[in-house]
Amino acid sequence: MELDTSMNPGTPNEPNELAQNNTTEVRPVDTADRIKTIDIIRGVGLLGILLMNIPGFGIDQSAYYYLTHGSYTSTDFYTHKVVSIFFEGTMRGLFSMLFGAGMILFTMNKKEVPGAVPVIHLYYRRLLWLLFFGVINAYVLLWWGDILFFYALCGMLLYPFRNSKPRLLIILGILCFCIASLKTSLWYNEDREKRLDYLEAVTAEKSGKKLSAEQKEAKTSWLERENWRPPPERTERNVSRMRSGYITVFTHLLPRNADDETWGTYHWAIWDCLGMMLIGMALFKIGYFSNKISSGGYTMGLLIGYGIGIPVAWLIFNKGELGQVHYGAYLDRYRVNHFTLYDVKRLFISLGHASLIMLVYRSRIVPWLMKALSNVGQMAFTNYLMQSIICTLYFHGYGLGNYNKLSYHQLYYVVLAVWIFQLIASSIWLKYYRFGPFEWLWRSLTYWKKQPMKK
Amino acid sequence: MISSTPARESLQDATPSTRSLRIESIDVLRGIAVLAALYVSVWIFGGFSNQQQYHWLQVSRGWNYRIYGAMELLINGKMRALIAIVFGAAMVIFLSKPSVPGKLATPELFIRRQMWLILFGLINAVIFLWTHDILFHLGIMGILLFPFVRMSYRGLFIAALLMTLIYCGKNFWSYADKQDKYQKYLVVTSLEKKYEKDSVTLAFKGTIKAKDTLTKLEVQDKKAWEGLLGSMKVDLKKDEGKVKAMHTESYGKAWNHLLPDTQMWEAMWTYQFGIWDFAGMIFLGMALYKYGFFANKYSGSKYLLLSLCCIAAGLLLGWFRLYYLQVTLNDFTKYVKGYAVPHDIFFPFERALLALGYAGLVLYFLSARLFTGICHAFSCAGKLALSNYILQTILCSLFFYGYGMGYFGRVNQFKLYVFASEMIIVQIAFSVIWLKYYQHGPAEWLLRKLYHSKERAAEKVVPFDSTLPANSFL
Repeated sequence: MELDTSMNPGTPNEPNELAQNNTTEVRPVDTADRIKTIDIIRGVGLLGILLMNIPGFGIDQSAYYYLTHGSYTSTDFYTHKVVSIFFEGTMRGLFSMLFGAGMILFTMNKKEVPGAVPVIHLYYRRLLWLLFFGVINAYVLLWWGDILFFYALCGMLLYPFRNSKPRLLIILGILCFCIASLKTSLWYNEDREKRLDYLEAVTAEKSGKKLSAEQKEAKTSWLERENWRPPPERTERNVSRMRSGYITVFTHLLPRNADDETWGTYHWAIWDCLGMMLIGMALFKIGYFSNKISSGGYTMGLLIGYGIGIPVAWLIFNKGELGQVHYGAYLDRYRVNHFTLYDVKRLFISLGHASLIMLVYRSRIVPWLMKALSNVGQMAFTNYLMQSIICTLYFHGYGLGNYNKLSYHQLYYVVLAVWIFQLIASSIWLKYYRFGPFEWLWRSLTYWKKQPMKK
Repeated sequence: MISSTPARESLQDATPSTRSLRIESIDVLRGIAVLAALYVSVWIFGGFSNQQQYHWLQVSRGWNYRIYGAMELLINGKMRALIAIVFGAAMVIFLSKPSVPGKLATPELFIRRQMWLILFGLINAVIFLWTHDILFHLGIMGILLFPFVRMSYRGLFIAALLMTLIYCGKNFWSYADKQDKYQKYLVVTSLEKKYEKDSVTLAFKGTIKAKDTLTKLEVQDKKAWEGLLGSMKVDLKKDEGKVKAMHTESYGKAWNHLLPDTQMWEAMWTYQFGIWDFAGMIFLGMALYKYGFFANKYSGSKYLLLSLCCIAAGLLLGWFRLYYLQVTLNDFTKYVKGYAVPHDIFFPFERALLALGYAGLVLYFLSARLFTGICHAFSCAGKLALSNYILQTILCSLFFYGYGMGYFGRVNQFKLYVFASEMIIVQIAFSVIWLKYYQHGPAEWLLRKLYHSKERAAEKVVPFDSTLPANSFL
């Protein structure tokens, strides 16, 4: 989300150091090049994130249950499968990596001026405003899947690492993923224990023993868990509320937002986002995002990334996710959950995506698309909030009220429309203005001074 | 919770008299807050549970009631407020220290220290098993509020007021949720009655039709209120499971049992209340420091007057809170029906006023040179606040938890206070003696070492504020 720093001069009297310094670097790289690639990757990440978010905007979450418990040959299922394997978590991954990189750019890009606000203050002010925007995105724009809140909090922990060596950053990033995996397996273990208690109760029953109260409880609670299906009343209530006016949607989503910002931060985001940010910082430092690696290097990245990532993703989807359908049997079969590999998949596929983008960029086959993507990336903050605005207005009751009306694969037509809109709108906007509107607002708030906007 | 050394360093150029008072007052306050907080922490360590507290409130006579009431009024929440106030003041002191050229800049040292503090808090909570650790929160709040340190004292006072008002608002909204549950419950029960009546009338008419039943969601609504009502019912038997679990001799089992409590405190409480709880008081501390409150701004008698006014007002608010808590406990349904605001609506102001009152009182003592010996003792404890705080966890957990001596739930309220007092004496003695031989407490020393550890490494890197370090990109 560090959008403006790479592309634009800093404060008016502060020339872009990045541009100046590149000429003196050991391996000179065209300034426009290195900056552009970061924006392109960010643009891809930003557009891609909507792939994962659209079901959250548009349909009741019980859809996932019916996807995995229904026919495995429907268009919906294939859509779900492709999106899960190739994109789930990886677009957020790219986005987080670029956030880490942007954080370095932001701090490096500015000179300490005696008497002026120190850079570290600007950095933390900027993140506090981002935190605020995250809260607005969740509670005012009513997008319960907001990620800005988490990014702001994680970003606050990155500052001391801006000068760290890539090796340390990678170790710390992997450590974050290890903790996430550990948490996943701890949860899985709890389920396993419940299953084992149940099995014990059943064996006791078969051998004709009388069950203790605890055993009876273990049996019923497990059966409830295994036979759980989304209650239709809940779906009905959710849908009718989401199609209502603003106040109803607001109160309906209030507990969900609060829950996400509380437990989401504590259990999940801190490891998920922070890990990717740290690794993104490391990759940025070795020049991966700034077009500094040889084509062979990127090809290697592509092969390793997809080569490891896709099979793991396939395994997680086919065995892990579909395994939930017969969860009892799954628990009996696997001591360790497939989802402990989740971050392995994300890391490698994200790497593959980044490498692919770099190679496409270098091959110059679709320069117009690259230009458009870099525009989207340059306005990433605006475009992210814009996705919330467009989608909530399209789906929620106070807008067009299309909530839960489209089937799973039809949601992706909406994604396509939003993509085309954002690609075109960003290009037009940046013809006339230096920043996207929300970037401008964010900047002005950070510096607490109205920033120039027109080109 | 901050090591007081930065204070000493930053004020070397101040005149001796203001300097000593300023440092002295902050250390004394920190010492008092950390040690006295044990009188309330010991409830949780030792198993003087909410149920018992509510029980004595309902009995509302006898010494158990009186002593509990006094602790609830004078200590509960106020010491945390005082710690936060002192923390805010110390933040300003730390951050106004000029950076040393060639070393890490002061703000960066601050951020690093806060991050280590978060880790200390996590260790204190998750390894030493103190479920209500606040180092974690202080660490986070320091980072969140760091940019505000440049604000004027006026702005900071307004910010403190705003945070405290939001805290009141949070208390109100959480009560409003309960009222909402009750309203839904009423709707469902009236529906239930109607179904009952309909089926009777139909039976009279001779029509045979299955009785309408509540939907699952309606049943949920009904159960939500019933559950809440059950949780508000005072029943000493509710503690039995907890006490049994805490007597387990296995550290692993105790860990498993306490983890959810820790997580509730670190995540849920923080998000719902903690942010406002700490932010208000940290802002207040920053504002007071910038205003000169800790450096003899007023004459002694003015401090005394201010302090007495604050304490009186705080106690009044506290007395109302306890009175309405009793009303709540006697009949929760009646309270929900009859009152628009919860009993604890003004708790945030109560604790702010009392904490401010205590601070004023200590400043009066210091300026009037009263109780100098005791003040000195507390200032020693305050210099070692972090060590003392962690030591409390270690000692209390070993005394009360099952893998230690297992006194959890086995001692009554009075004995808990005796234990806390003994602990306080031990900690004061420890602090005074330790400071005779060493400059920093053990935990303070470790923290300093950790956040200064990068100093040398940083010198090798191209300084951050010069040109773009191209080498770090390659």
